[in-house]
Amino acid sequence: MNTDPASRVTSPVSCLPPPSNIPGYTAAAIRKRRSTFFAVVGITLMAGVWLLAVSLGRNGFNVIDVIMLGVFTPLFYQLSVGFWTAMIGLYLLMRDKKDPFDLSRSLTENEQCSEIGASTAIIMPIYNEDVSCVFEGLRVMYLSLEKTGQLEHFDFFVLSDSDNPNKWVEEELAWLELCRQLDGFGRIFYRKRRKPINRKSGNVSDFCRRWGKRYRYLHALDADSVMSGDLLANMVRIMEKHPNIGILQTAPRVFGAGTLFGRVMQFAHAAYGEPFMAGLNYLALGDATFWGHNAIIRLAPFIESCGLPELPGREPFGGHILSHDFVESALMTKAGYQVWLLPVHEGSYEEGPPTIIDTLKRDRRWCQGNMQHFWLLFAKGWAPLARLNFFHGILSYVASPLWFIFLLCATALAAQDRHHPGSTVAAGQKAGLLLLVITIGLLFVPKGLILFRQLTRKDIAKDFHSKKAVFWSCVSDTVFFSILAPILMLFHSKFVIFTVLGRGVKWASQRRSGDDAVDWEESILTFAGVSAFALIWAAFALWINPTFFLWISPVLFGIALAIPFSIFTAGTRSGKSRGLFATKEELHPPRVLSQLQENLQRAHVREAPIPQLAKNYGLLQSLLDPYVNALHVSLLRQRQRVTPESRDYLDALRRRLVKEGPDALNKRELSAVMYDPDVMLRLHYDLWSGSGDGLSAWWDTAIRQYNILTREPVTALYR
Amino acid sequence: MDQLQIDFSPPTGNDAEWNDAYARLADYFRAHRIHSRLHRTWLILETLKRAAVTHGKHPEQSPTAVAIHEARRMHRDWLRGIIGDLNVPEGRLDANGRLAFLLCDGPNEYPDFFLNSSDAPLEMLAAMRAPIQQSGPDLAVSSMVPRPIDLGALPDIAEETSGFFGRHPWARYTILAVAAALATWGLWTVTR
Repeated sequence: MNTDPASRVTSPVSCLPPPSNIPGYTAAAIRKRRSTFFAVVGITLMAGVWLLAVSLGRNGFNVIDVIMLGVFTPLFYQLSVGFWTAMIGLYLLMRDKKDPFDLSRSLTENEQCSEIGASTAIIMPIYNEDVSCVFEGLRVMYLSLEKTGQLEHFDFFVLSDSDNPNKWVEEELAWLELCRQLDGFGRIFYRKRRKPINRKSGNVSDFCRRWGKRYRYLHALDADSVMSGDLLANMVRIMEKHPNIGILQTAPRVFGAGTLFGRVMQFAHAAYGEPFMAGLNYLALGDATFWGHNAIIRLAPFIESCGLPELPGREPFGGHILSHDFVESALMTKAGYQVWLLPVHEGSYEEGPPTIIDTLKRDRRWCQGNMQHFWLLFAKGWAPLARLNFFHGILSYVASPLWFIFLLCATALAAQDRHHPGSTVAAGQKAGLLLLVITIGLLFVPKGLILFRQLTRKDIAKDFHSKKAVFWSCVSDTVFFSILAPILMLFHSKFVIFTVLGRGVKWASQRRSGDDAVDWEESILTFAGVSAFALIWAAFALWINPTFFLWISPVLFGIALAIPFSIFTAGTRSGKSRGLFATKEELHPPRVLSQLQENLQRAHVREAPIPQLAKNYGLLQSLLDPYVNALHVSLLRQRQRVTPESRDYLDALRRRLVKEGPDALNKRELSAVMYDPDVMLRLHYDLWSGSGDGLSAWWDTAIRQYNILTREPVTALYR
Repeated sequence: MDQLQIDFSPPTGNDAEWNDAYARLADYFRAHRIHSRLHRTWLILETLKRAAVTHGKHPEQSPTAVAIHEARRMHRDWLRGIIGDLNVPEGRLDANGRLAFLLCDGPNEYPDFFLNSSDAPLEMLAAMRAPIQQSGPDLAVSSMVPRPIDLGALPDIAEETSGFFGRHPWARYTILAVAAALATWGLWTVTR
């Protein structure tokens, strides 16, 4: 059944970084780009800070003025970096000469058809994910690679850390079924870790330690990632052509959104993402960042140089590194290898969070991960850009409390002005007005120019519904982001404070689709506090100065509307029929995505277990179904030695499980049972031979119901 | 298949108990996805016959338990005849055998040969004997050790500080309270 991949193994490359062979990639070229970038950012920043200083300091500076200037500087820096990234990106895209450092054009036509000479592992670390999405995603990638004729050079690994028994059993079944349907035994592997040490990065490291030597490259995917076979193969070819590249990161396009929130994000990514990527590539060049998925990694230097240490101290700042990808790319560049962005527009996809609440849950994790990088800012040996990447990552969250402080200071100044009219803001009104105009320009000029570029394209129908739809989508998403930004500001501020106070994050799985109904209760509970806060702030602002109220109202208006915004944007009415927010992936989905959607629509039509059994359905299947039991036991490692104490403990659990049902055991006890092959085998016969008082009512029902349930598919992948 | 003969009169146990045993065996073989009623009935009767003999020796056990025990014994005998020479550990014979039958699509392709080796097609036997499932390729262990990062003196200071705040949560909240008091004082100052 299992084909030993040893025959396909190619020896790993040497860990000594070879010199770069990208044409024109010299120290002078790098210097020229980066000095240009930071010169324009620096000039913009100086102008902004000077204007604010003039605006505030006509009558001398007080404490509030100094605080405002202090928090304004990093905020305006962040704004300027965003502005110039987009502007330079736009310039690169609109000029006739293409960017020589765009690696997506580095392969000739012949090279794109060449035979691949290296073995590559495609890994998908998962944690309690939607099993159908994971395995159907694998299926379309497998079939897409098969079409390229290069499948033999790739192996697939599903690396599970799932601790939900239902998910665990479903994953095993889905893996078996997928292998049977694709004849993928020996090419698609499933591995479940007993202890999910160090979460996702530990999962990947475990793979590297066990199988890393067998492969030259590793394609890292997320549970919701989909990549086309052509791109997967071409990325290997690019890595083969440029042996100095350690990591090649694509910018995945968002797909599959069903809610208004998801579709706006999807549209924004499609409409504005390209210039930002081009601008980012202009600055980063070979010192780009790894985002953890939809990327290819050269395994030998990764294993050699990217093992993550523990950070000093305890969580939240110390301990295991949460946002491992930034650190891995920094370690890779430190080892002398390059990390590049690959600005491709198709072939690399991921799903986005469907609602604002899901976005916030994700950001809570990311916030703590990025804040941890504070230690790494001052570590020795990083490339300057790697240090800057850490700084930008931290700033992306710290900017929120800074903005919040800025607004508080502005409120305080306005209050001062109420008692001493003309003392502060009014004194520097012209400079303040000019700064306001510049800030609005920095925020909206790139967007306007990008919109102009899209509207003047002749082939707009390739990527969007129509010019009219693009125009109204842009207008609508401006309103959308104006409401969203202040809500995120308040929550990110809260996350930063919680992190500093040492309240760690729970490793929660992420909802990736918007199928579930809108949860009103969750919305109200989440946003009631901040909405009330905004209303009180607004009343105070109105009391101190109606003009100031008008100035600050766009921010407070957004926060006050958080509950209806959350509920409205979690719905599925999103102007789809009129082409609003429509993207290429929706209108003309590539083969991998259309096939995935078709498969998922079929896969999800199945009978759910009766509610009484649903909670422990995975356990039920793995014990009652002779084949599921056999599969589960076969995938467990045979225990070498079991102490008499362990055996007695497991026997006691087994007897309790049969007599009292699964609810009598806690999660840890159930897990102990499910990890022991002997107990699982024994339980299979114990349950089928049990009767009367020796069998709990739950199992009695389960045995009677089981064959009714198994008339329908036991896993989503059964057709 | 032999002609069906319902000639079943166990010396021990009562009708209700044997009816329960029948129903449980029916469910058990259906869980094996043996959907042919004829074959399933033959399997049940064959098992019950053996169970009746065994129950005579162990009447303290329920007929249901004895019947499932007999079904397991028949299953193991059947598997031993097919894959017994493949050095499958005794403890894994049932599991590996069941999986082998599933992987050769036995429930759909060869349901009549389940627990019945006579005239079993050679392709079924070959498919069941094919290498047993495993979850990953052979290991090629490599060493991935954490790379030390020289963080300078800052983390030492921070570690001491965070250790202090970790041991004394009241210190964290005191700082927070002082900050809040300062903010309130500032607000009061600018608004009075």
